[in-house]
Amino acid sequence: MTAQTETKPRKPGLGVLKSLLLLLPIMLLSFLFLAGGPPREDPLPFIAGIVTWLALNILFFLMLYTGKTYRYRRVLFVALALTLIITFAASILGTRGSLALTDADVLQGKTPFCFLVIPTIIIPALFTRTIIFPGSLLTGFAPIASMLVLWAGATLLVGRGWCSWLCFYGGLDEGFSRILKKPVIKSIDRRWTYLPWAVLLGVVLLSAVTLSPAYCEWLCPFKAVTESAAITSTLILIQTIIFVTLFVGLVVVLPMLTKRRTQCALFCPLGPLQSLANKINVFDVRIDPEKCSRCKLCIRSCPTLSLDEASLESGRTLMSCTKCGQCVDACPRKAISFHIKGTKVGISADAARVLFLYPTFIFFAAFGGSIISSAILTVLKLVTTGSMY
Amino acid sequence: MQGFLLGLANGSSCLAFCAPALIPFFMHEGQGVRQNLVTLFKFLGGRMGGYLLIGLLAWGAGSLLSGAAGYERLLIGIAYVGLAALLLVAVLRKKAPAGACAFEGARATLSRWPALLPVGMGFLAGLKICPPLLLAFTGAASAGSLAGSLVFFLAFFLGTSVYFIPIPFLGVFRRASALQIVGQFAAVIVALYYLFAGAILLIAG
Repeated sequence: MTAQTETKPRKPGLGVLKSLLLLLPIMLLSFLFLAGGPPREDPLPFIAGIVTWLALNILFFLMLYTGKTYRYRRVLFVALALTLIITFAASILGTRGSLALTDADVLQGKTPFCFLVIPTIIIPALFTRTIIFPGSLLTGFAPIASMLVLWAGATLLVGRGWCSWLCFYGGLDEGFSRILKKPVIKSIDRRWTYLPWAVLLGVVLLSAVTLSPAYCEWLCPFKAVTESAAITSTLILIQTIIFVTLFVGLVVVLPMLTKRRTQCALFCPLGPLQSLANKINVFDVRIDPEKCSRCKLCIRSCPTLSLDEASLESGRTLMSCTKCGQCVDACPRKAISFHIKGTKVGISADAARVLFLYPTFIFFAAFGGSIISSAILTVLKLVTTGSMY
Repeated sequence: MQGFLLGLANGSSCLAFCAPALIPFFMHEGQGVRQNLVTLFKFLGGRMGGYLLIGLLAWGAGSLLSGAAGYERLLIGIAYVGLAALLLVAVLRKKAPAGACAFEGARATLSRWPALLPVGMGFLAGLKICPPLLLAFTGAASAGSLAGSLVFFLAFFLGTSVYFIPIPFLGVFRRASALQIVGQFAAVIVALYYLFAGAILLIAG
């Protein structure tokens, strides 16, 4: 047991002036991303862009000023997931006229590429030099090349932080996990945290054999809210039932009952890949064992089960840590902080946090901001003209 | 030599076809490198048995093409369902509660003949008629004599088996209990896929 030192908890956050100064570059960059060029006749795109710009910058300011990361990140993250569904549906309906996927759509490559496919395409790409996904390489909504570059850049930047800052599905189970005040299922067997690695191994091996994206064909819960094959056979009906069951179970019900992000922590195969990529990322989250009082509030509050008692001893989170900031905000003794690898733990924690938030937020503004803005525009058009386009 | 080189050139496909069952199985077993090597030899022996059965069926039907076409869906369906069953037995035999009838029988059988699992899995994997196998038969059929065909086929088989050599080295990590848990889960996922795919082939075929 560590001796409890009488340390005055430091005042969280930066002052107003410092927060505003740090906000200025973000305001400028996000304006460039979202303004969409000079104002045009139709004011709606500009309005959507400005609303998004305001929301992003207010939330970023609050993150800096209050020193709290998780609650404001959560708002953005859930908004990203919800607006993606709107943007995706609008785009697919505009391109194909239906959310249901037909064989003709697949042959013509009218299927947007999703980064969840990435683990399954690696081995076939190495051996056959083809992408085993029926999408378009350069054209259309979410073409393969741009999604791969986006993902690679984001992964280098944030590592496993992708799962709490940039993944446009994670906000769904995060949102549902916040509905109930207290968990109904209080503990989860830690062995289930190895299931994502098993799903990764299984889909990679099966995709290498079948030369088709096994995760998309059989296990993706998000097919229930985006697109899936038109039900023209018993096989497709069974696959659809699997998708809906996984969505309802892993994304809606279990997060509500456990108040954890069960899809992200216990199933998604991209998570382990991001965890491996995180090894070369400069940011992580560390615990100062000298300040830690072993209250275990962080363990109880971590949405992805990335802390355990061994973490408190070693001062390191598990490799599944998504840098969401929940434990940093929850710790009553400020013993947990964002950290730059190679530096001393606890020293310049604010600087490490800002250095992590800055590029992450810029990436979010560019990538997620456009999705949010696009969804707002779609809703505005629907309300004002009765049509989404 | 020609058969061996052809096997080397195409063995990665053989490995890809067998890996979904093999890798989770080895991970779950958590044995050392030497024990894994022995298990691998049993697996490859079973695989050779599967290939020979297909060869016999094809020879009995008169030609590989006409013979295999009729048997293919049935054989692959049986192989998938059988593999799924063996994988589930391999994983659940240690976890099933005492007294669970089906697993008591399996446990008793496996304790008498422990080689049954890897040999059985190899045999069923061999029934899956992967593309390299078709190449092997084509090459063997053009050998001109029965002895030549057998030598060609054996050399091809040895060439493809080279790719399996790294798998026993999973035993280096045998102390990592996490690997065993991952292997267990992965084996169940793969088994469910094989069970479903096999059932479709058997019902639709």
